[in-house]
Amino acid sequence: MRPKKNISTLKLHHHKHTAASQSVRIAPPKEVLLPMTMHAGAPAEPIVAVGDYVRVGQKIAERGEKGFSSPVHATVSGTVTAIEPYTQADGRSVQIIRIESDGKMEKDPAIKPPVANDVEEFLEVVAESGIVGLGGAAFPLWGKLAAVRRNQIDTVLINGAECEPYITSDHRMMVEHSDLIVKGVEILRKWMKSKRFVIGIEDNKPDAIVKLREAFAGDTSVEVLPLPSIYPQGAKQVLLYNVTGQVVKGGQRLASLGVIIINVSSLAKLAQYMEDGMPLIDRIVTVDGSAVKEAKNLVAPIGTPIEHLFEQAGGLNCEPGKVLIGGPMLGIAVKSMSEPTQKATNAILAMTEKEAKTFEPTACIRCGRCVANCPVSLNPAALARAAELEDEDQRFIRLQEYSIGQCIECACCSYVCPAHKPLMAQNLQAKRFVKKYKAEHTTEGRN
Amino acid sequence: MANLKISAAPHIHSGASSNRIMLDVIIALLPATAAAVVIFGMKSLSVLLSCVLTAVIGEALFNIVCKKKQTVGDFSAVVTGLLLALNLSTNVPVWQCVVGTLFAIICVKCIFGGLGRNFANPAITGRVFMLVAFSAVAGGANPTIVDVATSATPLEQLGKGETVELMDLFLGLHGGAIGETCILALVIGFVYLLVRKVITWHTPVVFISTVFVLYMVFTGDVHMALSQILAGGLFIGAIFMATDYVTTPITTRGRVVFALGCGVITFIIRYFCAYPEGVSFSILIMNILTPFIEKLTAKEPLGGVK
Repeated sequence: MRPKKNISTLKLHHHKHTAASQSVRIAPPKEVLLPMTMHAGAPAEPIVAVGDYVRVGQKIAERGEKGFSSPVHATVSGTVTAIEPYTQADGRSVQIIRIESDGKMEKDPAIKPPVANDVEEFLEVVAESGIVGLGGAAFPLWGKLAAVRRNQIDTVLINGAECEPYITSDHRMMVEHSDLIVKGVEILRKWMKSKRFVIGIEDNKPDAIVKLREAFAGDTSVEVLPLPSIYPQGAKQVLLYNVTGQVVKGGQRLASLGVIIINVSSLAKLAQYMEDGMPLIDRIVTVDGSAVKEAKNLVAPIGTPIEHLFEQAGGLNCEPGKVLIGGPMLGIAVKSMSEPTQKATNAILAMTEKEAKTFEPTACIRCGRCVANCPVSLNPAALARAAELEDEDQRFIRLQEYSIGQCIECACCSYVCPAHKPLMAQNLQAKRFVKKYKAEHTTEGRN
Repeated sequence: MANLKISAAPHIHSGASSNRIMLDVIIALLPATAAAVVIFGMKSLSVLLSCVLTAVIGEALFNIVCKKKQTVGDFSAVVTGLLLALNLSTNVPVWQCVVGTLFAIICVKCIFGGLGRNFANPAITGRVFMLVAFSAVAGGANPTIVDVATSATPLEQLGKGETVELMDLFLGLHGGAIGETCILALVIGFVYLLVRKVITWHTPVVFISTVFVLYMVFTGDVHMALSQILAGGLFIGAIFMATDYVTTPITTRGRVVFALGCGVITFIIRYFCAYPEGVSFSILIMNILTPFIEKLTAKEPLGGVK
């Protein structure tokens, strides 16, 4: 049942300057950097050695053993020059494989369309595709689809909301490759036995809505649903509620409701892969921001240094104040322009010095803006007070009392806070604290 | 490219700031301030100036003495001083204004940790303190621009069973605290605060309506009910003090409960008690109940498990 009243929070400036910008394939960069952790879950393990010659689409790292993982494939042809530790923009130390491109983009001859005879084989080939959630969460796609082992997945929500400002990567995918989305739906219908498909698209993308409605004309199992252009429309909990009226309870899996949510670009990539066998090696990246000369959508090999992408967009028109991987709400500010794009990188933005201005946090005046704008009805001000408690036991109890676990990390609270308090960052930290506290106290209990 | 800024997401902001909010409250109080000067003459200026200056200097000195970060730049001290002044009459001598304001800013706000930490509204508490300490605060001075036969405030008149002209009440041409009388000016400020999205309509509308409805129920007299809401400090209290962020519930539901409580207590004091005015007390009592209201009206988080 669709709810009478949608969850609706922030009306942001859309800044979708690149909405009409046809995606363009870039010349390969001189080098790509491929982290082993471009997905949520266990890191991939390299299966190539320094000096090896690799071709486009060749597997260079296989799935880590524990839990859901995803392989990594060469995204250019050339020579592996290093397998080394690397400190990412988010501060994590990870292993990367560097490949120096020979500029030929020579395809791996072993690549052929995958064959699957049953669901298990299907999941295996999807796992080998290296496809992950391309909207940002980067959860391995096969892991998501594997829900079919335990639950009947009646409904597939295809997430084309793309609610963050600037980003038009999914938008372009829908407009330019509606055929792939149709094929993707067919694949899921075949293997997941799903009966209902809803493609949720924010109404600031009317051309994508028209295009997909045309593509699915006559198919009553597929609904192309325009959604209000309100942030964070694309967040799992928000999209689920606004489309189906359902809510995932804490500790519950989405699949137990008989629903999965798949990003529209992930679905298109899946369809492409099932057709030609080429794993995930490139994606559309929106290059924008006031410091960029020509805002564009570029099809870039994964692992391309962002510097190269900015060059392909005509370069920068000023010294940038801040450079982001991802959108302005949830993106990560990078220290270096040699930082690579990853599988889930849908945009890179260069902000001017002025836009990058930050403010000193001041005292909370309890204005309630964070409460009014929290899509999941938390009280971020109270959470922030709880997080500042010295006593760890007290802090844990309070954070639990105010349901820290339900925070969807959308940053609406920080965005509206007139005291400029880093509320979301504080919540992330609080979540880590709660996890650590729980771990420590359960082991104590066992001893 | 050496100086790329690193900071936590989000990287854009709504542009709202605490300073701007305080400034908006000051702007919203300007019509009432101007009305005060017009209606009560230059004597009101001395009340206004002594309160505002005392609030700002008091907070600044407190911060210096206690070696705290200077906070007077956030304009909240100005708001406290201005609000307190508007709730006093021109009968109050300057030295009393200074003492009352110092009590409000130091004892109610600063020693609790400054802006955001005080549990009661400093201006209201300051006024109640003065009400108890100095007798001059309770009565209203006469307007200087019109001849008024009686020195009683409209609430006192209503208490004695006399009737008052509604239009005079609306324009504020009667005795009382300098900022509370001109309803027109207060409503202009209210509209400004709504337009600037500083407050929502809930608290003032619920507070004032509650008083009105209760008077209708108990007296059945429309003129009486209207006089009661237009007279005294109801409008200034409901628009500017019951909407103080710091000392009222953070959720909309909580704010409605808060306003309802204020309305009921105001009515009880005015109708049943010897005291003619109850707005300040009602807000102060509800300030104290705020943490409980907040707890009782907290929303269930989406997907939360109890």
